[in-house]
Amino acid sequence: MPDTRTAARPYLKPLPEISDLNRPFWDGLGRHELRVPRCADCGDFNWVPYPACRTCLSENQRWTVVSGDATVFSFTVVHRGPGAFDADVPYVLALGQLVEQPRPCNVLANLVGIDPGAVRIGMPIRLGYVEIPDEDVTMYEWLPR
Amino acid sequence: MVFPRRAAAIVGVYTTRQARSLDKTSYSLQLEAMKGALDDAGLTLADVDGILPFDRSAYSTSPFAAQVWATQLGGRALSFAEPGSPTTGIPKAALAISAGMCNVIVAFWGKAGWKLGPGATAVPDEAPRVAEWHYALFGGGYAHFYALWAQRYLHEFGLDSEDLAQVAVTHRDHATLNPESVMGSRGPISVDDVLSSRMVSSPLHLLDCALDTDGGYAVVIASAEIARNCRKPPVWILGGAEAMHTDFYATIDDPWFPTSGQSVSKTAEIAFGQAGVTRDDIDVAGLYDCFTVTMLRDLEELGFCKLGEGADYFREGHTRLGGSMPCNTDGGLLSNSHNGMPHGMHTIEVVRQLRGECGPRQVPNAKIGLSLAQGASVHGYAGTLIMATD
Repeated sequence: MPDTRTAARPYLKPLPEISDLNRPFWDGLGRHELRVPRCADCGDFNWVPYPACRTCLSENQRWTVVSGDATVFSFTVVHRGPGAFDADVPYVLALGQLVEQPRPCNVLANLVGIDPGAVRIGMPIRLGYVEIPDEDVTMYEWLPR
Repeated sequence: MVFPRRAAAIVGVYTTRQARSLDKTSYSLQLEAMKGALDDAGLTLADVDGILPFDRSAYSTSPFAAQVWATQLGGRALSFAEPGSPTTGIPKAALAISAGMCNVIVAFWGKAGWKLGPGATAVPDEAPRVAEWHYALFGGGYAHFYALWAQRYLHEFGLDSEDLAQVAVTHRDHATLNPESVMGSRGPISVDDVLSSRMVSSPLHLLDCALDTDGGYAVVIASAEIARNCRKPPVWILGGAEAMHTDFYATIDDPWFPTSGQSVSKTAEIAFGQAGVTRDDIDVAGLYDCFTVTMLRDLEELGFCKLGEGADYFREGHTRLGGSMPCNTDGGLLSNSHNGMPHGMHTIEVVRQLRGECGPRQVPNAKIGLSLAQGASVHGYAGTLIMATD
């Protein structure tokens, strides 16, 4: 079962603008699935999503459900944050590299559920889902695996 | 094809006062800078027929900055308007001049009243909406993104915070010799001072980060014919290039430090080829130092040392005043000023060095100089410029 929590209200951090182009991704999160565009022609994953595959320029990409498992590619412990984030310092920003290949996908999100001083490059992590109260969007975060 | 060396020159430069906060508008700083640089060149507004405007204007009267500025500058046809930033746009300005498209181009910037840094900002009443997958969703900003980059860099090459801190120390030393720098009057700092300054976003301490200041500047580029009759000696453009590599802090490819290089590397390869000089020929340089780590990566990408060896190269002292290629002699973005879009600041300091105007921080007999601006997704975007005296 995916890890899910509900954020405290009111949620005052930024949220994404949902468009026709990106809606499949955010709909996927609502179903607790991480969907990444994968080129149906050459097989490469593309993150962040672009309208065409970055390897072969094909528009024949499919939103593909991936495991949500990753390893820490890089991270930072933030001690000064913008807006509502400043109440959370120190918090961790991490680039998680998905286990799915080819083309490494480095996905940025907060890494929670761990002492910030214990985070290391290469450590296994997995995606968690965050329900945002009173909003039409589910967010995502990294958790230790 | 060859780059038309010495077909265009930098003939005027100007920096407004740089400070943590200026009681002026961005627009006013841009006007002051533009007029100041033209005056430095001994030219007037009537001579200008091209601009490199990065900013729009105080009023949204056109979607194109160049149209607004053409009107503001008296209402006349400008035959060159390149929205690139100062430094990255200057090679194209030189080419346009050499091709007869225009004669005098002003590149300018000014910023006041807003901050880039990660300092506390107001908590809104409701969740703001931002672009999908943007770092703002996760409390990220420029400093945090460079911190992610620095962390990976230290990890891959077995380096530590002291390797980064030495950059801040040297650039502060240089700033102490620059009375116009924001931090010079505070005196020198040590590696321990950097390491004991508060952590902004690990591994970057406060003193690993650029200043977050107000200020403006301008650079005037003119044809050889005009340059020879200007007030100051011309600083000739020998070569230069601009490159784009990645989007704006969204796509991070692995490897993040490819041996083939990124934007900076590409521009250096082109610029050195055009200029017909070698790396050993560079007497003085100004390299983009928005964070300490950036300076080390600049030296690697420009080919002054190998990938991963920037810290060792820096420690050998080549880039210090008195070294073989003093860099950031004004104190750089770390200790002189980072005014929001400081892409032209390093070029201006190199021009002043090549003119011999730098007083106690003057590099003796400086004849050939290099400036580098970079940005976007850490080396996703870059401009290298090689300049020389007569």
